[in-house]
Amino acid sequence: MNDPAPITLEVDDVTVSYPNGNVALQAASFRLAGGAICALVGVNGSGKSTLFKAIMGFVRPARGAVRIGGRPVAEALKRNLVAYVPQAEEVDWSFPVSVWDVVMMGRYGYMNFLRIPRAADRRIVEESLARVGMLEFRERQIGELSGGQKKRVFLARALAQRSRVILLDEPFTGVDVKTEAAIIELLRALRAEGHLMLVSTHNLGSVPEFCDQVVLVNRTVLAAGATDTVFTESNLARAFGGVLRHFRFDESTVQKHDGRAVTLLTDDERPLVFGKDGHLEYRERAGRERVIEQRAEREDDH
Amino acid sequence: MTELLLTPLQYEYMLKAIAVSGLIGGVCAFLSCFITLKGWSLMGDALSHSVVPGVALAYACGWPFAAGAFGTGLLAAVGMGFVKTKTRLREDAVIGVVFTAFFALGLLLISLNPSSVDLRTIVFGNILGISDPDIVQVAVISGVTLAVLGLKWRDLLLFCFDPNQARALGLNVTLLHFTLLTLLSATAVAALQTVGACLVVAMLVTPGATAYLLTDRFGRMIGLATAMGVGTSLVGAYASYYFDGSTGGCIVTLQSLLFVLALVFAPKHGIRAARHRRRAASAPQP
Amino acid sequence: MSPLLEPFRYGFMVDAMIVGTAVGAVCAVLSCYLVLKGWSLMGDAVSHAVLPGIVIAYAVGLPLALGAFLSGLFCAVATGYIKANSRVKEDTVMGVVFTGLFAFGLVLFTKIKSDLHLDHILFGNILGLEPGDLRDTLMVAGVTLTLVLALRRDLLLYCFDPEQARAAGLNTAFLYYLLLSLLAVTIVVSLKAVGIILVIAMLVTPGCIAYLLTDRFGRMLWIATGAAVLSSLGGVYASFFLNASTGACIVLLQAGIFLVTLGFAPKHGLWARMRRAGRLSGGQRPGKEKPQFRRA
Repeated sequence: MNDPAPITLEVDDVTVSYPNGNVALQAASFRLAGGAICALVGVNGSGKSTLFKAIMGFVRPARGAVRIGGRPVAEALKRNLVAYVPQAEEVDWSFPVSVWDVVMMGRYGYMNFLRIPRAADRRIVEESLARVGMLEFRERQIGELSGGQKKRVFLARALAQRSRVILLDEPFTGVDVKTEAAIIELLRALRAEGHLMLVSTHNLGSVPEFCDQVVLVNRTVLAAGATDTVFTESNLARAFGGVLRHFRFDESTVQKHDGRAVTLLTDDERPLVFGKDGHLEYRERAGRERVIEQRAEREDDH
Repeated sequence: MTELLLTPLQYEYMLKAIAVSGLIGGVCAFLSCFITLKGWSLMGDALSHSVVPGVALAYACGWPFAAGAFGTGLLAAVGMGFVKTKTRLREDAVIGVVFTAFFALGLLLISLNPSSVDLRTIVFGNILGISDPDIVQVAVISGVTLAVLGLKWRDLLLFCFDPNQARALGLNVTLLHFTLLTLLSATAVAALQTVGACLVVAMLVTPGATAYLLTDRFGRMIGLATAMGVGTSLVGAYASYYFDGSTGGCIVTLQSLLFVLALVFAPKHGIRAARHRRRAASAPQP
Repeated sequence: MSPLLEPFRYGFMVDAMIVGTAVGAVCAVLSCYLVLKGWSLMGDAVSHAVLPGIVIAYAVGLPLALGAFLSGLFCAVATGYIKANSRVKEDTVMGVVFTGLFAFGLVLFTKIKSDLHLDHILFGNILGLEPGDLRDTLMVAGVTLTLVLALRRDLLLYCFDPEQARAAGLNTAFLYYLLLSLLAVTIVVSLKAVGIILVIAMLVTPGCIAYLLTDRFGRMLWIATGAAVLSSLGGVYASFFLNASTGACIVLLQAGIFLVTLGFAPKHGLWARMRRAGRLSGGQRPGKEKPQFRRA
């Protein structure tokens, strides 16, 4: 577990085409190292889920390769390096399994051929459930949970798997604000432990708040890197084309702290607000004080 | 050689069989375009098995076979719809449970009363021995089906493509649903005569699927499917003279061969065309 | 001797009950996975598709079961391939492939003179088992059952969430082909008992019954097996007195149990649903829990 070298995820020149000849992803490249939370941002059909599938080894790239911790995908999966939190719509909620069964499924990679759980497996499952506050629901059938509880069960499964790379597919859809905050808090704690999380989301407003890295996708990787440098108005315009609604506020309260050049981008979720020099809205300002200060200084210079 | 090839055409029963098969093949193929687009392929399979107890009952009681078959077919369709909406079972599981139960009931009736009807007639069809009253029934079913499809195909197409839009336009969607189900049951009953319960689904699926691979226009799809349905049925019925009366086997084998050809060589949606496109796509960009 | 015990005096009746029980149990266990995976009609397709394999195996002198197995598997693989490589929907592909194979089998059957009985292949002949049949069926059923039960957790995860199976390092391609092979083997084993049409019922109905009765997979396996074994024994027994098709009796008994379950299952039955709907509209609403996380 306590491998000193940070975990890495390298996507190198990956091209994926489907049997009908459509190219879903063309020459995509980026590199990430843990601990980090990276947002995967793009419109529907931009290749986000294809990228996930390539990282999970479900589709074989026509060109290029994915390496996790320096290893090819198949080997990384055998070593339990990757965990996956599916979208709520992908799960069959009437499947006859309990919360406990689902989280135990995270331990299969560590068990013997017959998948008989040992005491250690039970302890880890219990810990993981406790960490997301779902231990008391362990005997429930999964369909009997609320939207936020369902999401937490699958997070617990990823925790039980003890993987250093965690892929989360749209973790905030169908989740109330409190659960969203709780999930973000958990992801931050995992980042501090050195995990690498790749979160696909179209909720642009929350990206600068908890993601320190961003990968912008539109049939290829348009830009990848630190949120402050990559998550810019011009990059987003390239990623979303004309899909985003685009308002300009010439008269607004926001002008008080950023002149008159304010742009608001939203994908029907929380709005993302841009000033002249970057995004404005930080609910959590911890660690961002310098950015805000710099902007204030430049504002004074004018 | 020519004489040998013309032998089958000298018999009246062969001519009748070929003509009736062609008619049924055409009607089924027309309907198959709707069935494949709606995703009801296995519904066709289920209904064709579900008509068996009706046929057994009808023969035992001396009713027209079509009436009995049609009755149990619709009963099965309604039963499937009911169980599906009222339980958490998946649709495919419901179909499996209901149609096998109906088929088993048919089998039980026949085994209790073996003299009234030959099981083989139902399972494999017996177009070469079709009686004149049965021909009349088939002709009536085909005529009515063609008339309904000819008049209402635009409504049905919209229903298959976008039921919500159909509802928004003020069309009676429930009525359209049951119209399509009724047509499916009716053609399944007619096709039972030519190819038998096990292969009815092929007549109701394969021509539509083949045409779907060949064109992107619904009008052309209907034309192609119907042409293939009629053609394969005529040739298959004719060829069955040399194959010991296995008319259904011949017709469906021919239809499957056409499907395989289309699958590989179709100009736009075939496997070869896709392979060319894929090769072009994965070549490094200049 | 009581007339009710008369069936047990005949060796062929006892054999039929043993084979019926074995076949019923194997099919029931597999049916739980098929129902959950959404593969119910895969059983339909594979079972029809075994016909050409049987005829070809007969013609070239191979064991019939081997031919049946291979052609059933071919049907499943071909369906998967065509679905992946064309724009035709999966259910349509399935319909095209299995009817094509079945029709091909029929044409072959008429061209190859054999002493095979088409009726026995289609509807089973459980009362006319040959001496070796009992042993063969028990052996294959035993091996299949052991394999499914040994790998039941992997197969369950594969049905529930293939992505997670993959992330846990399981070989999903292997599990896919394993499940298909188990399906094909089970169908081949069941041919003698109920034939290729009614085996579909054995592969769907017990799983559906159990799924309506419980929310736990372990219990589901037991309930399905219990219902299937009961139906097999009862069906064979009843067919003796009715002088009717044994396969039909077994399947109709299963259907009867399904109907009763559908009506009166404690939680998912129609009766329970109606009562719940009535109570809910009476003004009660389920409570909500607040989400809370704990730092590790």
